[in-house]
Amino acid sequence: MFFTRFSQFYCCDRKKYALFLLWWLLVCPAISLHGHAGAEEQTSDTLNLDFEIPEVEKKPYEFKAELEISETVKGLDEDSLLFHQKYPNGADDGTLYQTDLNLKVEGSYRVNIVKLYAGLKGNLYYNKAEGWENDRRTEEAYVSLQPGPSIALDVGKKVLKWGKGYAWNPVAFFSRPKYIEDPDATLEGYYVATGDLIKSMGGQLKTIALTPVILPVSKHVNDEWSTEREIVWGSKIYFFTFDTDLDVMFLLGEEVYDRFGFDFSKNLSPNFEVHGEAAVVLDYVKYIADQGGNLIEEKDDVLNFLFGMRYLTKSDTTFIFEYYGNGQGYTKDEMTDYFTLIEDGYQEYISSGSMAKLATSRKYGSQVYNKQTVMRDYFYLKVTQKEPLDILYFTPSMACIYNINDKSASITPQITYTPITNLELDLKATFLLGKDYTEYGQKLNDYKIYASVKYYF
Amino acid sequence: MIKSLSMILMCLSLAVPAFALDGHEMLKKVDRNLNPESYEMYRKLINIEPDGSKKEFVMYSVKKGKDKIASVFLSPASEKGRSTLRIGENMWLYIPNVGKPIRITSLQSVTGGVFNNSDIMRVDYSAEYNCEKVEPTDDGHILYLKAKTNTVAYDRVKMWVYGKILLPDRLECFASSGMLIKTIYFKTVKDFGGGVVRPAVIETDSPLYKDYKSIIMFAKVKAKDLPDEVFSLNYMPKVESLR
Repeated sequence: MFFTRFSQFYCCDRKKYALFLLWWLLVCPAISLHGHAGAEEQTSDTLNLDFEIPEVEKKPYEFKAELEISETVKGLDEDSLLFHQKYPNGADDGTLYQTDLNLKVEGSYRVNIVKLYAGLKGNLYYNKAEGWENDRRTEEAYVSLQPGPSIALDVGKKVLKWGKGYAWNPVAFFSRPKYIEDPDATLEGYYVATGDLIKSMGGQLKTIALTPVILPVSKHVNDEWSTEREIVWGSKIYFFTFDTDLDVMFLLGEEVYDRFGFDFSKNLSPNFEVHGEAAVVLDYVKYIADQGGNLIEEKDDVLNFLFGMRYLTKSDTTFIFEYYGNGQGYTKDEMTDYFTLIEDGYQEYISSGSMAKLATSRKYGSQVYNKQTVMRDYFYLKVTQKEPLDILYFTPSMACIYNINDKSASITPQITYTPITNLELDLKATFLLGKDYTEYGQKLNDYKIYASVKYYF
Repeated sequence: MIKSLSMILMCLSLAVPAFALDGHEMLKKVDRNLNPESYEMYRKLINIEPDGSKKEFVMYSVKKGKDKIASVFLSPASEKGRSTLRIGENMWLYIPNVGKPIRITSLQSVTGGVFNNSDIMRVDYSAEYNCEKVEPTDDGHILYLKAKTNTVAYDRVKMWVYGKILLPDRLECFASSGMLIKTIYFKTVKDFGGGVVRPAVIETDSPLYKDYKSIIMFAKVKAKDLPDEVFSLNYMPKVESLR
C-alpha cells in the first residue's frame, strides 16, 4: 500500500518533492563549504591560546534561543480506516505539506539564592487547509530557591521527567506523554511546587535524594488532570548504590489514579547499559468501544512496564532496544472492534448519509484510540552510527516501533548533520507498515518526510 | 650459603613492593601536581579537523576526591546547559531539552573529536591505574600504568613525567590488544596561583583519527571546597550555580 501511495505521490507531486529535497540537499553542502572556508592548519602551537576565556565571566542573566525552519510532507493513505474516519468524502489532495517556523527562547535571572527561569515556544506554520496559523506556549516558567547544594525548591510551571526509558516512561507520573517519533522533543510542564533534598554518604549507599511534588488542580491550573478542584501529590526517592541508579515513586490524588512505581539503570560494562521501569496504576478505568458504538467501562489495577538496553560497539554504533508492556492498552480484539465501528460508520455514511456511527468513532478516537502506542506490547529499536565513512558530524540512524500484538510497524530512517557550530540539519522519513485492522496499517498517512534546519544562538 | 640465599630472597621480596610503592606514590604526586583534590576550573576544548576547521566548547568543571567530577557547558549555544557527572566509572549526561540524566560510557565523546568522555571527565590517574613499573629517563621517569579494572577506558598507559615536581609530559594510551589508541601531550606550564602550577594546554592525536587534533586549554584552576551533594543526579541541572 505504501509503495502504491508513494508512486502516486511521486508521479503527481514530483515537482514539489524534487524542490523539497533539492532545498535540503543544497543547504547541506553550502553550509559545509562555509564551515571549511578559510580553514588553515592549526595546532596548539599556532592557535591563539587566550587564557582569558570570555565565557568564564559570570552574568546574573542567561539567554539562549533556537530557531527552526522545517517542511513536512505527509502522504495520506486513502484506503485506511482513519482516513475514512477523517475524510469520509475523500481529500482534495493525497499529499499534505506544512511549513513550520519555530522559535524557542529561554532566559534566566539569578539573584543570590533565587533564580527565575522561563522557556517560551512560538510556532508559525502554513498548510493549504488552514493557511497561516500560529501557536505559542510557555513550556516552563518557575522560581527556584537554592539555599544550598543539598536543598532546592521550585515553584511554577516545570517539566518533571521521571524514568529511565528512552521511548516510553511508565513512571513519568507528572509528565505529558513523550512524542514517540521524537522521544527527545521538549515537553510542556505542569504547574507544581517541587524540590530536592540530597544527602551523600560514604559506603555502598552513596546518594539518597528526595523529590516531593505538589500539583494543584483547578479550572485555571492543570485542568487536564481533573474536573474537580484538588491537590495531587507525590514523591520520588533516588538511591545511588552498587553503581546502580534506583528510583521509587508514587502519585496520589482524589480524582486521579493513584500510582506507584520504580525504575533502575546500571552499566553492566562500559558499553552496555540496562534499564527498566514498572508502575502500578490502581483502579484504572478503561473505556472500550464495541462494534455497535457502545462504551464499556472496565475497572482494574494495571501494570505498565519497560525493560531496555543501550549497547555501544567498537565502531561507534549505538543500539537502543526497549520492550514496553502497556497494561492500560487495548488487545487486538478490542482494537478490531474499534476499527469495525469505523468501517461500519463509513459504510453507513456511504449508503445512507448518516454520520452517527462515524461521529461516535471520531469521539472515541480523539479521546483514546487514535493516540500513539495504544495497544499492549511494543518493541522499540534505534540504531545510530556516529560519523560513518569518516564524514564528520554526520549521524545516520534508524528507529523502528513494532506492535507485537498486530505485527504492524513504523520505520524511521534519519540523518542529522551539524556542519558548523550551532547549526543542525535533520532529514527523516517515517514509513508505516501493517495489514488491515492493524495500528500502523490504518493510520491517516502511510509515510511522512520531515526536513529541518535548526540554528542555536 | 642457605643464610645468604635467604637474605638475598628477603631483600628481593622487600624490594619489589617498595619499588611498586614508589611508582604509586609518584602517580599520586602527579595527580596532586595536576590539580588540588577539590577544585574548580574552566576549560576550552577545541576539535581541529584535517582541513583546519575547528569546533570549540567552553566548560566549567568541579572535582572532588579521587573520582568525582561534574561539568557544565557554557558555550556554544547548542550545547549550553548540558552537564556531565562522573562518579568512579559511572558517567551521566544531562541535556536540558531531554530533561533527565542518561548514562553514557567512557568510550563515547560528548564533544566529538579525539578526546573521549574519560579524557574530558578525567579523575585521578591513581584512582584508575596501578603503576607496575618505573623507568628512569634523562630528565625524569616513565611510569607504566595498568588499569585497575576492565571498565577503565585505556588498559595500559605509558606516562612520561619530568622534573623534581613530577609533571606529566606525554601519555601513550593503549587498548588491551596493545594497540596505541592516542597520545596526549601536556604543554605550556602555567602558575594558576594558590600553588597550582601545571600544564595549561593538553593536546591529543590518535592513529584512529588521522590528521585530527583536539586541544584542551585550562583557565582559573583553583582549590574549592565542595559538598558531596554537588556530585549527584539531582544536582546536574544546577551545576552552573556553583560558579
